[in-house]
Formats: sequence, C-alpha cells, structure tokens
Amino acid sequence: MQAYHSTYSTFTWLAQRITALFLVYFLFTHIDFNHLIQWAQGEYGWTGLIDFSFVRARLQSGSVFWMIFYFLFIPVCVFHAMNGLWGIIADYRPSPRLGKFLQVVLILIGLALTYFGASTMINLFQIGTGGTNAG
Amino acid sequence: MPAKNFLGIFVNEAKLNPNLGTFSYMLHRLTGIALAIYLIMHTWVLSSAQISGEAFDDRLAMVQTPFFHVLEYLLVAVVFMHMINGLRIIIADFFGATRKHKLLFWIGLIIFIVMMVWFGTSMIPRIFDHSHDAAQALGVLP
Repeated sequence: MQAYHSTYSTFTWLAQRITALFLVYFLFTHIDFNHLIQWAQGEYGWTGLIDFSFVRARLQSGSVFWMIFYFLFIPVCVFHAMNGLWGIIADYRPSPRLGKFLQVVLILIGLALTYFGASTMINLFQIGTGGTNAG
Repeated sequence: MPAKNFLGIFVNEAKLNPNLGTFSYMLHRLTGIALAIYLIMHTWVLSSAQISGEAFDDRLAMVQTPFFHVLEYLLVAVVFMHMINGLRIIIADFFGATRKHKLLFWIGLIIFIVMMVWFGTSMIPRIFDHSHDAAQALGVLP
C-alpha cells in the first residue's frame, strides 16, 4: 500500500478541478485587466508604462469588486499551483518520509506566496495604514 | 521510484506511448511547472509595492521592455495551453468523454490558435511600441 491514496487524494483531485474552473474566470479577467493594459490608453494618467500610481488608480477604481476578486484569486491560484506540483511529485511515488517533507515544503511556499501576494494587495488597495505614497 | 529519475521516466513514457495523450500530458506537466515558477517571480516583482512606489516603478519598468513583452506573449500562450488542456481533462473526467479525448485535443488546438490571434492583436504591437522609451527615461535600461 502506498502512503497516498483514498479520501485525501480524492479531495485534492476534485479540489484541483474546482479551482481550475475558478481560475479560468480569474485569469481571463486578470490578464484582460493587467496585461492588455494598452487598451486603457488615456485612462488613469497612462504614460506608456505601467507604474505604481497607475496600478493603484485602476485597482481602486472598481472599489470592493477588485478586493473580493484578488483576495479570492490569490489563495485559489496558489493552492492550484502547489496542489498541482504535489500531484506531479506523488506520481513519482516518493517514500512516505520524503513525501511528507515535500508536502511541508509546498505548504510553506504556498503560505509565503499567499502572504506576500495578499499583503501586496493590501498595500495597493491602501487598506488600513499599510500604504506608501505613490512614486 | 526515486525522484531523481523524473526526466528518465518522462522520456520513457514518450517512447513507450508516443501518442497524442502522452504529448498533451507532458505539455500539461511542463506548462504547469513553468506557471508555478512564474507565480513566484510575479509575486516577487509585485511585492516591491511594499517597499516603496519607486521600487515598484523600477521593477515594473524592468519587465516592460520589448524582450519581456515577447516573454509576456509566450506566458499568455503557456496559460492558454494549460487552461484549454485542463478544461479538456475536466470534460473527459466528468462527462465520460475519455474516448473522445483526441477530438477534444484538436478542438482545443483550434480554440488556442483563435485565442492567440485575438490576444496577439493587442500584445504583438506592444512589443514594437515605445514603452521601453519610458524605461530608459527612468534609467532602468542602458
């Protein structure tokens, strides 16, 4: 018997598919909003370069919508990435000991990415007193 | 099997079963790893917003050059490969379409090409525009 099977892996298998469907919507919106940015020419003080004040003005223009969007997007995206990497690792059947170790590493990377991502968004949305002044 | 055989197993699977399904499985795996690595770099670039507005501007100017705009278009390609192939897996898994997976692949490829042309209309001109002039003005580029 391998260490990884049964209800736990069924959950992560299903979770990977559910988060995938969320990400289809999230990524389209995110890419449209931030990477096809030249469509925004003339808006929010566009200078030909995406910069701090531009990103801030755009994010804050949608008020609560972009906050809900990004605070859902970040953990879902990070989970999907780490769970996907775990799926690859599990395919090569590491020993239970190595597997547990790699799981802990992935969880720590995931928590760090969620923390840095979320705290960056808190800064960009100027929630609380965390905001720095525009450069 | 030990993890050090990752590449060996990967290549072996392609040799043993050189079919469309194996190819898309490899593609999904490689694009997935690439996107996970990108996620870390993306977070690193943007988290400079916590240092200062100037630090954020510098790092963002660094990645808004013609070279990085080519990479950005490739990134979008990788995202759509992974997205469309992932949807194909979901359809095969949940709608009993396993036997139609090759047809689904070719439909996906057509959707992928349409998406790349659609995004290309706005992203390819971006490679040749003057956004890098602003980066030079900021002193980020030589």
